[in-house]
Amino acid sequence: MSIDHTKCDITGMVERHIMIAVDSSDNSRRAVLFVGDFFGCYEGFQVTLLHIILEPEATFFRDTDERQKWLSGKLEEAKKVMDEYRHILLDAGFPEDRVNVRIDTMRAPSVADCIIKEQEEMKCCTIVIGRRGISKKEEFIFGSTSNRIIHEAKKCAVLVIE
Amino acid sequence: METQAANDVETPYSFRQLQEMIAAYLGPDNVPRRFKIITDTSDFFRVDYNDVVILGGVPYLMRNYTREGRFGLDDEPKYWVRKAIDLKNREAKIIKLVFYEEIDARVGDMVFKCVRSPGKEAAILEMVAGHRNFMQGIAISDTAGNIVRILDFIQGKRFDELIFKLAGNHEEFFYEHLPGYLAIYGKMVKAIGFLHDQGQKHGDIRRDHILLDRKTDDYRWIDFDYDYYHAANMFGYDLFGLGNILVFLVGGGDITVQQLQANESQHLEKLSPEDMNIIFNNRVANIQKIYPYVPDALNYILLHFSNGANLYYENTGQLLEDLEEVRINA
Repeated sequence: MSIDHTKCDITGMVERHIMIAVDSSDNSRRAVLFVGDFFGCYEGFQVTLLHIILEPEATFFRDTDERQKWLSGKLEEAKKVMDEYRHILLDAGFPEDRVNVRIDTMRAPSVADCIIKEQEEMKCCTIVIGRRGISKKEEFIFGSTSNRIIHEAKKCAVLVIE
Repeated sequence: METQAANDVETPYSFRQLQEMIAAYLGPDNVPRRFKIITDTSDFFRVDYNDVVILGGVPYLMRNYTREGRFGLDDEPKYWVRKAIDLKNREAKIIKLVFYEEIDARVGDMVFKCVRSPGKEAAILEMVAGHRNFMQGIAISDTAGNIVRILDFIQGKRFDELIFKLAGNHEEFFYEHLPGYLAIYGKMVKAIGFLHDQGQKHGDIRRDHILLDRKTDDYRWIDFDYDYYHAANMFGYDLFGLGNILVFLVGGGDITVQQLQANESQHLEKLSPEDMNIIFNNRVANIQKIYPYVPDALNYILLHFSNGANLYYENTGQLLEDLEEVRINA
């Protein structure tokens, strides 16, 4: 019996597809560097860099101009970091056609919900995320994306990078 | 007597008609000689006592502005929130004019950006129309497109003001009154859950933002125009507010280290940093250590808001589920 190395055995997902959930923070950069260092020299992996822009309700802004300005600013910032992260992965040895970049603007109660939804749709076998290192107080009030993913994500491995 | 309007705007009412309506409310001798008729409220400082603001075709006679009840800002005038009289039906209203403000909200030693959003409050008003646990009102755009909220005036006391006058000592309060107040609290948590289920947050949950409506005997959440950017948990700040109210309620008021020190309380020795409120480190959250008759099921909920907590409530459903387990038997 031969083993199909393109499949993630433990999860039954389609292939060795790693999602790195990022934003423009240092901890996200560390998560990308980790994936590059750890998996860059192996064949058969596909990586999706996912950046969620959590859009507030329209009523959060004074008017549509302010909303548009906010969205364009976030999108520009996201594009910039995603380009940098993509290059980190390519430099680490990932073939160009195995690195996907995805920026999604969504409305949801939490970023974690959006990441999990995308993971389910893309059938990624692993989610990699950086830990912000927030205080207990901050976690209490604002929640922790990485903790929520650890608790809520199903049928996939979760790597949290310190 | 010579009377006249101080301005000249196009309105569905003549100056004389408005004077007659004011006379019907205030009496013929109290009709102001001059007042402005306003349809564009952009500059709310221009809206003076006795002016008439016309919104959605209804004339409102402006009365005094209200004052801030927030701790530390007591009695700060809120010029954009006015008492008013609907001159058509003579009902008392609160009129919230548009004031865009970015505020640094302070929670303990944390600071985060909040905005005042008339649009959010308008959306929630529509969502909670007819709901007995929320203030009622409508939102109307003035001629300049400002979203003005016209709220039913709630005649009644703040929730926290009612608590203190209930009993001579805590044990009596605990057994005699707390079960009833916990039932009310449960209803108020459910009402917040109603908002959350529809993708909205209250944004400024405080014990002085619950009023007892004397007319209907309903407790109502007020003031939901605060908004903030959330990333990891949209409802965390609301749950923090609900937790603070519960701790206040069970303790019959906030129990602080300073109070215990002033009373040379023996309880001080028993308290550790884990027993204190996770954000306000001078407030006791583990109230069972002060009042041992607080049952475990209730104290278990309070501990979710303490420094020692490793698990936090993420939604109102979890909090309500634990509340249902609480039994207080004398």
